[in-house]
Amino acid sequence: MSDLLTVDNLTVRFEVKRGGGWGKKSYLYAVDDISFAVKKGETLAIVGESGSGKTTAALAVARLVNAHRGSVRLGHEDVLQTQDEDLRAFRQKVQFIFQDPYSSLNPRQRAEAIVREPLDSLSSKFAAEKTQIVEGLFQAVGLRPEQQRLFPHQFSGGQRQRIGIARALATQPELIICDEPVSALDVAVQAQILNLLRKLQKDFGLTYLFISHDLGVVQHMSDSIAVMYMGRIVEHADRMSLFTAPRHPYTQALLSAVPTVDRVKRASQKRILIPGDPPDPVNLPKGCRFANRCPMAQELCHQQEPALVSNETGHRTACHLVS
Amino acid sequence: MQPLLDVQNLTIELTTRDGVAPVIDDLSFSLNAGETLSFVGESGCGKSMTALALMGLLPANIGRIASGHILFEGDDLVQASDAQLRKIRGNDISMIFQEPMTSLNPVLTIGEQIAEVLRAHQGLSRKAAWTQAVALLDAVRIPNPKGRAGDYPFQMSGGQRQRAMIAMALACAPKILIADEPTTALDVTVQAQIFDLLGDLRKQTGAAIILITHDMGAVAEMAERMIVMYAGRKAELGPVDQIIDHPRHPYTKGLIECVPHIQSEMSTTRHDLVEVPGIVPSLRQFGKDQCLFASRCRYLSEACLASRPKPQEFANAQSADCWHAGDL
Repeated sequence: MSDLLTVDNLTVRFEVKRGGGWGKKSYLYAVDDISFAVKKGETLAIVGESGSGKTTAALAVARLVNAHRGSVRLGHEDVLQTQDEDLRAFRQKVQFIFQDPYSSLNPRQRAEAIVREPLDSLSSKFAAEKTQIVEGLFQAVGLRPEQQRLFPHQFSGGQRQRIGIARALATQPELIICDEPVSALDVAVQAQILNLLRKLQKDFGLTYLFISHDLGVVQHMSDSIAVMYMGRIVEHADRMSLFTAPRHPYTQALLSAVPTVDRVKRASQKRILIPGDPPDPVNLPKGCRFANRCPMAQELCHQQEPALVSNETGHRTACHLVS
Repeated sequence: MQPLLDVQNLTIELTTRDGVAPVIDDLSFSLNAGETLSFVGESGCGKSMTALALMGLLPANIGRIASGHILFEGDDLVQASDAQLRKIRGNDISMIFQEPMTSLNPVLTIGEQIAEVLRAHQGLSRKAAWTQAVALLDAVRIPNPKGRAGDYPFQMSGGQRQRAMIAMALACAPKILIADEPTTALDVTVQAQIFDLLGDLRKQTGAAIILITHDMGAVAEMAERMIVMYAGRKAELGPVDQIIDHPRHPYTKGLIECVPHIQSEMSTTRHDLVEVPGIVPSLRQFGKDQCLFASRCRYLSEACLASRPKPQEFANAQSADCWHAGDL
């Protein structure tokens, strides 16, 4: 299948107060020169720790923060250049599912109004048609029709996330960005939402950009995975090769840190501890950003930043020590 | 041998607008010296409430211990006076809270907060307490402890704050350390560091740890025994490996199966996750004489609705409160 979303050299920076000196601006590069593509109907997961820039990257793709450089293409359209009416059309095609189902729903609107809102503001459909669409969406996400009249506080966390999902589906988008869709939910409810997301993907042919820090969930949901560290993609590969043969030392440490119930796996894997904290994002050190915590860092790593290089199977890694 | 902590038929009632609800309903368990025991369950199942009861920190005027005993080294903490409790709390039993951001005092330096514990419980002088606080920060592997002791909580990262919390909890070499979701707010690599640290400290000090979590993986790595809680009641209790291999309570089974784990054998096909439908019942349902998991259970039968299941015993002191435990 063809690529639905293509991101090239995307950079997002924020102006910060400190570190610049008199009258000099300094910038925090939250996302620094990342490139990836997502095929239609597939799921790309972006994983990384807090502060790695995964959410900012997603926000930039959805035009919710301004990109500093780079290009984002949805199909053939250059997203970052669209304006006015084109931008409205673009927003119909890309929708967002937020992390916290408690703060992302308007507490003073009824569930039906929340789900209908994207139709009201982005489409020019008739009222009767909208009502019908909303009804269908409630059914699709597993809510009962009579629940349309309720307010958000009358729902449980899992049901609220279902409303959030229905809202994201309202304009029949091509790409849905899921920003930690289950991390605020209880474990048993997580499974319900994950199953729902996969079912909807199959039914509607959706493409997901799935942001998560939970590698177990990512392993279950995604077709390919990009690992981010300090604003950069350090490794990008399909699901099988990333989980069975991770190449970047950071990915290896990340995978080994996940506690598991599988006793065979626990016995066979040695936990790689990475000491210390990530570097200051405003004054990044020279060389590889992971070098100060990397168990196998060498002289070269502190001098020169590694590029993201692809091997013959398309497994991309940014590390001097991986060839 | 007498267990370090012996909880017998503990019932805690919470007064809400809808009336009085038993948030902990007839819970009994024991904890041996140097052991790690884990409480698992969804939110609202009474895990944290148990911890608060052990510490004597139930919300005033709302929560109260209705019946039962908490025997710590033979003394009943339920009957203990406030002064006695204050002596034990932070000294023999101490606690690490979930949110390292909100549970530290933002206007005192880390060093002052740790020294305060030492001065209150061990009567150390200001100077001796400070020296000891620096040594503790070193023990929890905070780099440059001398300099960092003068830092305020906002100057530290999440992982460092949680380390400072652990240093504070360990200040008086407690016999029991209660860790209430100690890593939920942290990244996985930091979580691994904290677990590693807790494991080492346990080896060094011999403290027993009560680990409260919802992550079965964390339980498998950290604990020897676990208690699965559901709606204020014990669902299952027993050795961790044995329960993970063969859970006897449908809720435990659901909790283990519903999470997508990273397996040793990866496969290209991904099956749907096993769902535990529905959610934890509301407080109004608590305390009914029936199985409270019945509405979400695949193995539902008439017996489940007729009366509260009795614990069924299995090998190695595994027990499950389910009428169908033997068939599972």
